[in-house]
Amino acid sequence: MQPQSSLSDPEALLVADTSTAINLHASGSSREILRAIPNRVVVAEIILVELEAGKRRGCRDADHLKELINDGFVAVITIGDVGAQHFEELVIGPATETLDDGEAATIAVAIEHHGIALIDERKAHRICSTRYPDLRTGCTVDIFAHPEVLWALGEQQLASSVLSALMEARMHVLPHHADWVVKLVGADNAAHCNSLPKAVRQGSTHTTVC
Amino acid sequence: MSALDSIPPADVGERLRIARDNADITQKDAADRINIARTTLVAIEQGQRRIRIDELQELAKLYGTSVNALLRREAVHVDLAPRFRKLPDAVDAAADKAVDIMSRLARAEVELENLLGIKRVHNDPPERPILRGDVRAQAEHNALELRERLGLGNAPIGDIVTLLELEMGVRVYVRRLDSRISGLFAYDDELGPCILLNANHPRERRTQSAAHECGHFVSTRRLPEVLHTDDMSHSREERYADAFGRAFLTPPRAVMQKFQEITAGADRLTRRHVIVLAHVFGVSREAMVRRLEELGLVKKGTWDWFQANGSITDQHSRQVLGDLSTPDAQKADADRPTTLRLNLLAAEAYRRELFSEGQLARLLAIDRIELREIMDGLEMEGSEADAAPVFPE
Repeated sequence: MQPQSSLSDPEALLVADTSTAINLHASGSSREILRAIPNRVVVAEIILVELEAGKRRGCRDADHLKELINDGFVAVITIGDVGAQHFEELVIGPATETLDDGEAATIAVAIEHHGIALIDERKAHRICSTRYPDLRTGCTVDIFAHPEVLWALGEQQLASSVLSALMEARMHVLPHHADWVVKLVGADNAAHCNSLPKAVRQGSTHTTVC
Repeated sequence: MSALDSIPPADVGERLRIARDNADITQKDAADRINIARTTLVAIEQGQRRIRIDELQELAKLYGTSVNALLRREAVHVDLAPRFRKLPDAVDAAADKAVDIMSRLARAEVELENLLGIKRVHNDPPERPILRGDVRAQAEHNALELRERLGLGNAPIGDIVTLLELEMGVRVYVRRLDSRISGLFAYDDELGPCILLNANHPRERRTQSAAHECGHFVSTRRLPEVLHTDDMSHSREERYADAFGRAFLTPPRAVMQKFQEITAGADRLTRRHVIVLAHVFGVSREAMVRRLEELGLVKKGTWDWFQANGSITDQHSRQVLGDLSTPDAQKADADRPTTLRLNLLAAEAYRRELFSEGQLARLLAIDRIELREIMDGLEMEGSEADAAPVFPE
């Protein structure tokens, strides 16, 4: 059973956050996945800077993203004037109502280009839903759950890719995707994925907290 | 009014100046990065010219931070690194790195505490500036005065890190540092007293470094300090801190009493005596013997005699103490990307959606996957689902 996808508009620009870049790298199938997705995928410039900082601590996510950019799977986008205003509002203010630069830039670019912001965490989703109710948002799992990705990879490779993202990158899974993820990777594998909510790992189908 | 315009330009300028100083970047280099004259950057830092958001982004990148970390309302901005750089004995790269670790941990802890509404207990002992005259006598007196204030009497100090944290409100961090660095001390109005100790050193040595830094806290708290292992400084401040540390950990009366108990009936000092005494007071075997020499309980040169005659080894110590040797928990904690307490604060801030993953990763200076490992390890998402016991009202 495929979950309701927020990526049903093939024309929409997908703006990936740092988290999505990390999760796709960990999946080991980023090229096949991005080739299968009909949408154009972009990242804000600052995402590369963030990943470069991780490189000093031994992460190779920045190199991988650069390869995807060089090979045309992902494009880098600069924030324009409209996006800059949103970016400013998202990074300046009280901690509870702001985000770090990469997360804010992702949302600002998505607003500016009427795209879909791919973000994986609750605070960013909460801020989007209250401040930008018209903005379309998704997450990394939406990419994995895209029908074209299933068609291109087949169920076995898709399951293995999602499992890698869960195990290697400890990918976050939003509550409405939990059942699909467990079914895909199998309950036995899911039990070893610490980034899944405990209730999900223990085999419950009812999750309360992401 | 834009979000940036809502912050007084002087505040923006001051935060930028501190960030630039911490990153050790000149005004000229910063100005060149955003294609403005150095005098314009000076005007921005002095609050006489507003900065644009695109300029801010560029400077944040250059300073290794983010606009959010610079201008988040609750962000803590302190300039510890420049203060250390002004030390007369020019801080080296290893010390610079240690200063960065301590600043980062303390800033993150304070911001998270403030956001979570945690009030830290301030219990600074009275400052005792070093006066003219015998430095050692002053240090001994002040150390015993502090012991009395803390209600320690003559009891050995089992865990100086916890004592400093709980009884004196010091932020103590134990992290793996270059082996040449023993400890760091700094005092800041916003952070309070902070001490960083080297996890690569044996526990007893760390204890002595902590007591030494405590001496600086009592005598010269406004001066930051780096304690090097090969410190040959004979300044009054260093001699004071050394003597303070010895008196604080091994007070004369207590040492004399324990010495009498442990050597009862013996006519010479054995390795076993030294090992047991050092264990009781939690100091190194060398520090123990030298203290016995200082107090006239053994002849001068006793430690040198042991050294020349097979020394007193860790193996000897294990044979004597057996199960009494306990694992070094602080060393294990130092292998984590951040401290256990910071992890708990960060997890709570994340659970309450006060901070995003990106904000926390930057605040703790770790990558996203390390942060996720910490969060997963704390099983934060399970606490509600498991109906964990709630605190009483």
